[in-house]
Amino acid sequence: MLQPEVIQARRGGFTRRKFIKGVVAAGATASAAGYLFRGSGALSPFLTAQGAVERLVTLNVNGQQRRVEVPRQETLAMTLRYQLGLTGTKLGCDRAECGACTLLIDGVTHYGCSILTHTVRGREVTTIEGLERNGEMHPVQQAVLDEGGFQCAFCAPGFVMSMVGMLDRNPNPTREEAAELLAGNLCRCGDYDKILNTAMRAAELSGARA
Amino acid sequence: MAVIRDMIPPFELYQPAEIDDALRLMDQYGDQGWVLAGGLDTFDWFKDRIKRPQAVIDLAAVEEIRGIAAGADGGLEIGAMTSLTDVADHADVQGRYPLLAEAAGLVATPQIRNQGTLGGNIVQDTRCWYYRSGWPCYRAGGNICYAATARSMNREHCIVGASRCVAVNPSDTAPALVALDAEMVVASSSGERTFPAADFFIGPDIDIERMTVLEPGDLLTRIALPAPWEGARWYFEKIRDRKSWDFSLVSVASMLRVEGGAIADARIVVNSIAPFPVRMTAVETAIRGREPNEETGQLAGEIAIEGARALRHNDYKIALTRNLVKRSIRDAA
Amino acid sequence: MEFLRRALNPWGENVPIGVSWDLIWAAVIVGSVFVVGHALLVPKKVGAAEIDEDEARGLPEKVQRHTVGARGFHWSMSVAMFVLLITAFFPVVGIRFPWVTIHWIAGVVLILTVLYHIWHVFAKQDFWTMWIGRRDVEEGRDSLKAALGRSGEGEAGAGSGSRRPRAGKYPVDQKMFHHAAMIVTIGAVVTGILMMFRIDNFLWAENTYMFSDAAWGWIYVIHGICGIGLIFLVIAHVYFAIRPEKRWMTWSMIHGLIDREKYLQNHDPKRWVVAESGSDAVEAGADGD
Repeated sequence: MLQPEVIQARRGGFTRRKFIKGVVAAGATASAAGYLFRGSGALSPFLTAQGAVERLVTLNVNGQQRRVEVPRQETLAMTLRYQLGLTGTKLGCDRAECGACTLLIDGVTHYGCSILTHTVRGREVTTIEGLERNGEMHPVQQAVLDEGGFQCAFCAPGFVMSMVGMLDRNPNPTREEAAELLAGNLCRCGDYDKILNTAMRAAELSGARA
Repeated sequence: MAVIRDMIPPFELYQPAEIDDALRLMDQYGDQGWVLAGGLDTFDWFKDRIKRPQAVIDLAAVEEIRGIAAGADGGLEIGAMTSLTDVADHADVQGRYPLLAEAAGLVATPQIRNQGTLGGNIVQDTRCWYYRSGWPCYRAGGNICYAATARSMNREHCIVGASRCVAVNPSDTAPALVALDAEMVVASSSGERTFPAADFFIGPDIDIERMTVLEPGDLLTRIALPAPWEGARWYFEKIRDRKSWDFSLVSVASMLRVEGGAIADARIVVNSIAPFPVRMTAVETAIRGREPNEETGQLAGEIAIEGARALRHNDYKIALTRNLVKRSIRDAA
Repeated sequence: MEFLRRALNPWGENVPIGVSWDLIWAAVIVGSVFVVGHALLVPKKVGAAEIDEDEARGLPEKVQRHTVGARGFHWSMSVAMFVLLITAFFPVVGIRFPWVTIHWIAGVVLILTVLYHIWHVFAKQDFWTMWIGRRDVEEGRDSLKAALGRSGEGEAGAGSGSRRPRAGKYPVDQKMFHHAAMIVTIGAVVTGILMMFRIDNFLWAENTYMFSDAAWGWIYVIHGICGIGLIFLVIAHVYFAIRPEKRWMTWSMIHGLIDREKYLQNHDPKRWVVAESGSDAVEAGADGD
């Protein structure tokens, strides 16, 4: 079998759990389904899972423990935006293609639109809102300001989070390496040149800080 | 009314921590159960309401099948739930199986590689959009192939191995694993079975609704790599429309064992030209004893496309296959 | 249990796409129940008709029941049929192998044997031999009574008690089997020829859009129903072929001959006239005249 230390290295503070049956379903009116069907009374198809126990989950978001009711089928981006009010995470394609919903889970970039909220219980979620520490901007955020990195900036939170993940993997990337590491995000304004300027500036700033 | 394509319809969610619990749940739900690994393919099916399982069995907590460890006889064992990033970045994989590291590193985007698993990449379903539109094609249990007619848009479809269905296998790691003689370890409630990677993938002539030997209740748990060839040369190339995110149009993975300037043994595997990764055994035989040069590559390329038959829009794949096979021998390093 | 598999096509029409494969098991179960039921309920040895010495006079020792051509047809058709059934249904129930090419080639062989059979019947044999007439109905009624142990009061032949009536060249149950098999085989063959337009073959290019989705669906449904019907018929046919009291008939399908004694016990020499040479047999006129 696989060596336990390999596993531990990968997923530090993860606690084992057996058979954690699904959670909410019957009263999911307060959840994302409520957002999409505001007052339409069309909720019933979403409330049909039988015998499920309504349950709160505790999410570790931006260093805070957040208690929230989550239907099992809800994606993390939906929970963050429509239940926790963290609308910095954008939904572009909702198909793991555009990268607008990029966030960090245990310090690694993921598409928030394509992971179940229930899958990330017990793991550290960081969104764009969690980058600022004690009133001080993250080097990547500062780099955006310095370089004027984006045009319409709908993709910006996703790119910023990708850059944070990039610097973690490769603190000193070449422009080409940065392009490769940011290849999971799309900018419909086509502002890639300035975005890469931003990435290089971010590497510079974070290197200076380290 | 337009079809809603964002919120996912409800399902039961299970998050077992032990593999046996997962297998029991899979048996319990049968074809109404859905095994969730990275989920990057899963959620498209769910959002499009084309697959609507009653229960989803999320393997994220099954630590037993995550991680990379030394295997038997100097080989390496990779848990199916290991992320593609972990495979591509692992020192042992990079050092001893660079072909696999390269293939895993070329999958989709960084975010997808961080979440997508090696197991998921291997068993992923075809990208044929006629099938993914939820139409009743052969692969969906129906009796028609929408992609093979004279009027179909079939630029991405197959040139060999078709049988009624002309979809292709899109996996990048699959051809690499076939070239590395990997073994797939499959668990089910009745025990564990092992398949050579080349036999793990099946064509529509054998089962038109599945890409692999996995039946409901079967779970790919580990990928066992044998000790690599000493001083082998390798080559991997993935051709795609976009340099990021996209699936391959044709990909090639090769391993060459060169002794005294001549090819002593070879594995040449091409993917995305058939419903399964195609091991070019005729090419392997033909190039044995020859020097891995332009001439041998040319010969190999010509042999590789023997019997290939283009659909209306994909004859470019024949030329592409010929040239990639040529390069995979000439440029292997 | 559902009888049809249906699907929504790209135009939103709910069309049939085939017969429900649950029916395979239904056919196997019905076939097994029939076999077991028959074996348990009809085990009595029915007395054979006594041999009339007058009738026996001048007849050879062996009478030919099936010509070489007829036997050749029967066995090539049976091989094709088994190949067709195995390639059709084994993959469905989970025994996987590349079946499509073998299936359609066996189908082409079946079609050729059927064409030969049709030519043979019209050109070389008496078409009416297989026809079910009034006398066959009476014969069927009497043999049923005999089998169930009732008195054979309506029996025209020899003696009283539980005696089997004598048939023409083919007993009525064989005729009924023949007609049932003929109907489902023709159904499977005609739909099968059409279905060959859905796959690549050496005869013509595939043409998926030759018919509407619904029409194609019904073609698949008919093909499936006929195939599943053949499962039942083959089970019943094999069962009767191996029953002890019918084995003389089974052997005659191999070497073509039956004993004079069997001929006289089971066949009415007036309805199945055997020439003195014993080489050929012609039924005297159509039944029911």
